[in-house]
This record gives sequence, C-alpha cells and structure tokens, in this order.
Amino acid sequence: MSGATLSKWTMSYFTAACLFLVIGQGMMVSGYGDPFADVGAPATLALVHVLAIGWLGLLMVGALLQFVPVLVTASLRGGRLALPALLLLIAGLLLLVGGFAAVAGTEGMAPGMLPFGALLLAIGFVLVTIMLAATLAAARPLPLPARFVAVGLIALCVTILLGGTFTLVLSGAVANVPAIALLLKGVPLHAALGLAGWLTFTAIGVSYRLLPMFMLAPDCTRATSKAVWWTGVAALALVAACVVSIATGSAAVKLPLSLAALLAAVATLFYSADLVRLFRERRRKTVELNIRASYAAFAALFVSVVMFALPVTSSADGEGATAVVYLFVFGWLTGLGLAQLYKIVPFLTWLECYGPVLGRVAVPRVQDLVEEKRASLWFCLYYGAVAAATFSLFAESPTAFRIALLAQLCATVGLIVELVRARILSSVAAPMRFPAGAPRPRLFFRSLDHRSNR
Amino acid sequence: MTPAQPNPAPRELDVRPILRSGGEPFQAIMEAVNGLKAGQALRLFAPFRPQPLFKVMEGRGFGHEAQEIEGGDWEVLFTPKRTGAPVVVSADADNPDSWPEPVEHLDLTELDPPEPMVRILAAAERMEPGEVLFALLSREPIFLFPELARRGHQWAGNFDETRSTFRIFIRVGKQGLKR
Repeated sequence: MSGATLSKWTMSYFTAACLFLVIGQGMMVSGYGDPFADVGAPATLALVHVLAIGWLGLLMVGALLQFVPVLVTASLRGGRLALPALLLLIAGLLLLVGGFAAVAGTEGMAPGMLPFGALLLAIGFVLVTIMLAATLAAARPLPLPARFVAVGLIALCVTILLGGTFTLVLSGAVANVPAIALLLKGVPLHAALGLAGWLTFTAIGVSYRLLPMFMLAPDCTRATSKAVWWTGVAALALVAACVVSIATGSAAVKLPLSLAALLAAVATLFYSADLVRLFRERRRKTVELNIRASYAAFAALFVSVVMFALPVTSSADGEGATAVVYLFVFGWLTGLGLAQLYKIVPFLTWLECYGPVLGRVAVPRVQDLVEEKRASLWFCLYYGAVAAATFSLFAESPTAFRIALLAQLCATVGLIVELVRARILSSVAAPMRFPAGAPRPRLFFRSLDHRSNR
Repeated sequence: MTPAQPNPAPRELDVRPILRSGGEPFQAIMEAVNGLKAGQALRLFAPFRPQPLFKVMEGRGFGHEAQEIEGGDWEVLFTPKRTGAPVVVSADADNPDSWPEPVEHLDLTELDPPEPMVRILAAAERMEPGEVLFALLSREPIFLFPELARRGHQWAGNFDETRSTFRIFIRVGKQGLKR
C-alpha cells in the first residue's frame, strides 16, 4: 500500500533518546567524562557513547522508522523488529558504558562487558538496518534523499564493525596485530564514520525531503544536491579505505584523510548553498520555530566544518579537535535533532489523536499543540550555551565550560518539557482537547488502538 | 476517467498526395511530429499500412492504432504515451476510469500541510457514498492515504508532468458516513 502510517515505536525511541541526552549532559555537568581530558580516556568514551548511541543514534532510528516510508512513499517493512531493536540497543549501550567504567576503574563493573555490549548493539543496529534497507529496497529506483539514508546505513554498519573490534581488544579477548593497530589509529575514523557518515549524511538526506515540506519550497532534485551526495560518498569511501589500510599494516593514511576532509568541506559548501536556496524559494513567508532552530544548526555545521578545515582554528583546537567536535555534536546534530523533534512530536501526536476524527468534529491545528514563544527562548538559550561552551573549550576554561553546560542542560530540559506538554495536549483549549472518538495519546508510546497497523 | 488534463485534438496529415506525386513523405511526417503540442496525437492518412513508421514513432514515445479505410487507404492514429508519473490507486479502487464526474473540486496547492488533509476529509464527510471529489495538492498526501483507506474511500492520483502538483480523485465509500 502506498502512504505512510504512524510508526508504532518512534515515540518510545524519542523518549529513550531524550533521557540519554539529559543523562549525558548531566554526566558532563557533574564532571564525568571531562572534555579537557584525553579523548581516549575511558570515562570520556562512556560519555561519548551515551550521547552518540543513546541520544543521537536512538533519535535517528526513531525518526527513520517514521520518515523512511515518507521518503519512498511505501510502508515500513519488518516493523515488528522495532521494539526488539530498541531493547537490544538500550541493553547494549548500558553494557558498553559499564565496560568503559570498568576500564576507568569503577568497582563492580568488568571490561568483559564491552564486547557483550557491542554484540547487542550490533544485533540491534542490524535489525534496524534490515527494516530500513528492506523498505528502501522495495522502492527502487531510490529518490535522492533515500540514497543518502542508504549510504548512512552502510556507514553505520562499518562504524559498528570497527567499534566491535575495539571492544574485543580493550577487553583482552583479541590481541592480534591488525585489531590492535585499528584501536591505536582507528578511533578518529570510527568517530568520523559514525558522526559524519551515519548521523550527518542521513540527516542531510532526510532534510532534503522535510525542509521543502515544512517551508513549501520546490521539492526537486538539484545538481548541487547530487554533488553533496557524490562528494560525501567519496569522502566516506576514503575513510573506509583507510580503515582497511590500517588493518593491513599500511601507514599511509594521512593524505587520503586530508583529501576526505577536503571533500567533506566541499560537500558542506554545496549543502549550504542548497539550504540558502531552499529558504529563498520557500512559499511560506513566516517560517515556524522548528525551521529557524534548524537553520541555527545548519550554521553550526558550516562553522564547525570551516573551523576543522582552516589550519588556524584547527591547530588552536589541539590534537583532539574537542571544540570543533563539541560544536558539531551539540550545535549541529543535537540542535537539528531538538529542532526537528519540536516539529515531529506535535505533528505525530496531532495525527495520532485527531486523525481518526478529522472532518467530523472541530480539531485544533498542529501549531495549537505548541507554545512557540516559550520554546524559542529555550532554543536561544540552548544555542547561546553551545556557542559559549565551544568558546570556553577553545579558551581552555573549565569553569566557563561548566557554567555554559549547565545553561545548555537547563535549555534541553526546558525543551523536553515543551515536548511532553505537546504530547499531553496541554496547550489545547479544553473543549477541543479530547473530541469523542479521538484516542488519547500515551506519553511514551503510540496509543495501541485499532489503527496500529494492518 | 484518469487524472490528466484534456489533450488537444489530434493533428491531421495526409501523405497520399505527396506519394502520388512521387515524393518522399518522411520529412513531412517528422516535421508534423515536431510541431505537436504536449499530449497531442497525430492522425496520418496513407495509401498503404506504414509499417516501418511504427518503429520510428515507437522510439519517439508514440503508440499507434491503424485501420483500413475506404479505397484500401490507411488511417493511423499516433498517440503520445503518458509521460506523467505513475498513478497510485487505493488497493480496492475498482477501475477508476468508470467513476462518475467529480461533484467537488478543491485547489489545496497553497495550503500548509496538514491542512489539505483536513479539507479533503471534511469534504468527503459531506458527500454521498459513490460521489467523487477532485483535489489538487502541492505534494503527495502520504499521511492521508491510510486515513482514506480506513474510512473506506477509494482514490487514484498522480503528479502532473512537471511534478509540481499532485492530482487526486477520491470516491467516497459507504463507510464514509459512519461515525
């Protein structure tokens, strides 16, 4: 059947993701996983994975389960795997974090938890990949946005393989030369494949479909968008080739990685040009808060890539590129995630609650579910705090960083409260809130009524 | 009934005089083809069945219907094949070509989503079972389809040639009036 139904478990993925975002930022505020410490420190690794898998990964999977069917206008295949995948990913992440904590010297944890966590994570992400790849495969030839997602899924698989190898070495289960070489030299590649290949490339693809939808801009495939795909794929292929090269003992990865960084910068320029053009060509003159907040995230993407590419800023940032990575993760990926959640959660709630009675009784508009004024203050605080935290990392000022981070955590919690308020329809005037025949949305799950799929 | 704009009347070309005077009509035919408007067909009159031309026109995206007319001459109608996007129909849509003319027309191209969905479902509620609604949208209403199916309505729709407007016919089902 054509058309997209509501994804059953997306709201549960979002709930878990938001919890991990709060936990991750809470860890940083309390000083755990200090970004001023070595990137390879076990506590830092625990923190990074709470954010990368717990927050960004679950958020992305939840969004893709709902929006890949929209990208290819076909229903989701194998949707019953969504819940087992979620449980495996959460259990795997907890084991992984426990394993890192053990390496960091925490009592009661064992490094042997690392490979088990990685195994559960791998199975979980494989289930996700099966659902999404089967949905995509049934809809060939793929439209361009879906081709971004397909590449993102491949990058996800390579990221997991590489990460799984690391856990085997760290736990002492494997001690062969290629695996050790990968652990010693492959961590930045693992991060690049995960943050840029899987999360960023996928987000770009979905944005090509959703932005025209939200702004009423022409939804056509441009040459620049194709150029983003090709340059991005070339950059990722180079990174993947370097992984193989390290495992086979070759040391010549510096040049291909510089080339990959250059290609990624070119892709970002093309993407920025597309974003500017979409904004100019929009027919909706006053854009909603989710679009304004998304463009702040696009600016963070642009700035972080430029800072990474420019020798002056990247050398000021030091070996670990902490400030740039921070801006990339919180300004770009997290900013975009929060901005899109602010649109998706009210929309899905509206469709779930009022879809069955549309046209029969008066229902609120989607925008009646949110209070943009209050949320825009939270977004301003959020981006201001991210900028301040990035500067304090550059300036190597831990105190300023902690203060900025606290503000950032407050803004995040404020935004999550806004999402919960949308979910429980608290902004909707009482007479319209629950019309007869409308299912009541549950906070963390999609209501399991007669509409829950065929 | 199919979701398409009415096509212009076929252009006619009679190559019998050219052939009678010993000329070669191919050039004239190709000029006529090049001068066709979008969606326009070509009606050709020839003293024989122009078999080789069928292949040429096939390559240019035209199907053909040939029939012998009086005096042993032939009339061939070359019709451009549909180049619009494929038509999506609901699973239970039985032969949309036989649906009655729409009683309601909605232009929803300038509305923000999900407002088009609200308008279409509201219009369908007002209509009698079996009546047809026609709507223009700025994009494919993917979240509308499951709701239409759930209410027992049938639909058939596709994008126009420029892919900027989605055209949809909806036939109101019997369950449409059920509360």
